[in-house]
Amino acid sequence: MEMRVKTRYAVLALLILIPSFVNLGVPIYNRDSPELFGMPFFYWFQTLWLFASASFYVVFAHMRGKQHD
Amino acid sequence: MISSDVTVAFVSLFILFMVLGFYGKYWRRGDLNHVHEWSLAGRKLGTTLVFFLIGADLYTAYSFVAIPSGVFAKGSLYFFAIPYVMLTFAVALVAMPRLWSLARERGYITASDFVKDRFDSRTLAVMIAITGIVAELPYIALQIVGMQSVLTVMLAGTANGQVVEEISLLIAFIILAAFTYTSGLRGATLTAVFKDILIWITVLVVIIAVPISIGGFGHAFSQVKPNYVTLPSTLVPGYATLILGSALALYLYPHAINGVLSSESAQKLRKSTALLPLYGVGLAILALMGILVFAVPDAMSFLSGFPESSRGILVVPSLILYTMPGWFAGIALLGIFVGGLVPAAIMAMAQANLLTRNIIKEFRPNIKDSSEIRVTKISSTVFKFIALGFVFVVPATYAISLQLLGGILIAQILPAILFGLYIKSLKKTPLIVGLLVGIGSGIYMVEAANNFGTLTTSLFGTPFGSLYIAVISLAINLAISFGGSYIANKIHSSKTK
Repeated sequence: MEMRVKTRYAVLALLILIPSFVNLGVPIYNRDSPELFGMPFFYWFQTLWLFASASFYVVFAHMRGKQHD
Repeated sequence: MISSDVTVAFVSLFILFMVLGFYGKYWRRGDLNHVHEWSLAGRKLGTTLVFFLIGADLYTAYSFVAIPSGVFAKGSLYFFAIPYVMLTFAVALVAMPRLWSLARERGYITASDFVKDRFDSRTLAVMIAITGIVAELPYIALQIVGMQSVLTVMLAGTANGQVVEEISLLIAFIILAAFTYTSGLRGATLTAVFKDILIWITVLVVIIAVPISIGGFGHAFSQVKPNYVTLPSTLVPGYATLILGSALALYLYPHAINGVLSSESAQKLRKSTALLPLYGVGLAILALMGILVFAVPDAMSFLSGFPESSRGILVVPSLILYTMPGWFAGIALLGIFVGGLVPAAIMAMAQANLLTRNIIKEFRPNIKDSSEIRVTKISSTVFKFIALGFVFVVPATYAISLQLLGGILIAQILPAILFGLYIKSLKKTPLIVGLLVGIGSGIYMVEAANNFGTLTTSLFGTPFGSLYIAVISLAINLAISFGGSYIANKIHSSKTK
């Protein structure tokens, strides 16, 4: 039981930390290729990453909602 | 001169907007003589409405004006707004439900209420209220600049354009003031939904139609300098710190906290926050307009008729006007116009709450509930007109720079609020000193970075590269707050031994 609580917290933390790490890790996406519809990687990656972030956050909200404060 | 289709669509939708604002009073009726009913809509907003309301805080003239204008003038650096909104929701998702729960339990309406209760310090609470009010003013002014840019583009070439513009703005503000006075946050929320529908239609149509008409994104990107395509390596530290600093600051603004506290439950708040990055897609599209416009010769030649410093703010409205049919441009331009108006109302309301609850009430504790609500409503009106007057007096580009300063100021209340939620050992005196030093050092660095002239940059050169000033002064502030509290606790524990 104790272990499961810890795992749960670790998962919750990762759901927040992974998108944050990517957002702040500018060199990860600061490049021009591959392009998408003529748009440099820098622009389309960050735009599409919005959907990924929202997915991480939705899972976080769902998991967090199941436990009592 | 613009075609009459534009004006007809614009004016008729504005009338609809006005009707919704006044109707807000009857929507989910509550006793509007209570402050929490008027300013927090009775804390009854569910997931969807909080999504729209906080979305309205985010999707302001900052998105329509400041960001595309920055991309247009300086290139990829200003795309930081996209990762910034993603990160800010991570911060909010963790901290805000906790603030919400405490607020519900203890009856807080503002962040200052929390600080006063948590640290038992009137001084700190008043200082935080003042910081909030001051930081919010240029933000409201920026909304008005956004509205002005729409009118400038629509009225270009009209006789007495300037006078017509100022009168139109004044009328819009009187209407706004009237419905916020009567309907409170309910009116603002209803109009926020209306505004968002228009904006979403606009961005989705523009992002499909414009690249097709100009022959693809590639065509626009081939017209611009390399620093518009990717970030020059010297700007990487600046980009990362702009993301971090802005993300930490957004939820400290009084209007954002107001939006958070109007939620019906902590879980509904979490759900709507989790979905809010999707809003950023629209923001990204608007930011890209700062680049797309380079491939639209008509819009570029129109912009070249204005001084270089004021071209940026006209990018989005002129791009829309020169690529879309008249009736559609009218809808889109109204969306941008009310996109400034609605947030201005929410922000002025949040300022008014701080003024009455955390400043006036501190010094006149016996004020009656009925007077409290009256003072709040009146001061929210006054704040709107102060911001309007400000815009008539100072040049538009200056309002944008002052908003940069506002962000640096508001970031300084972070230790007391965000860390105050979690860390028990923080003490009030170090927090007060940290706040003052943070604000002082922030203002100094802004002035020094701009050679004590017009504000154009918020980055400060350090051995680690040029960094966003809010982050540097926040680091100083945190060092003082935590260091001071550590020492205070040491002294305290050695005394009690």
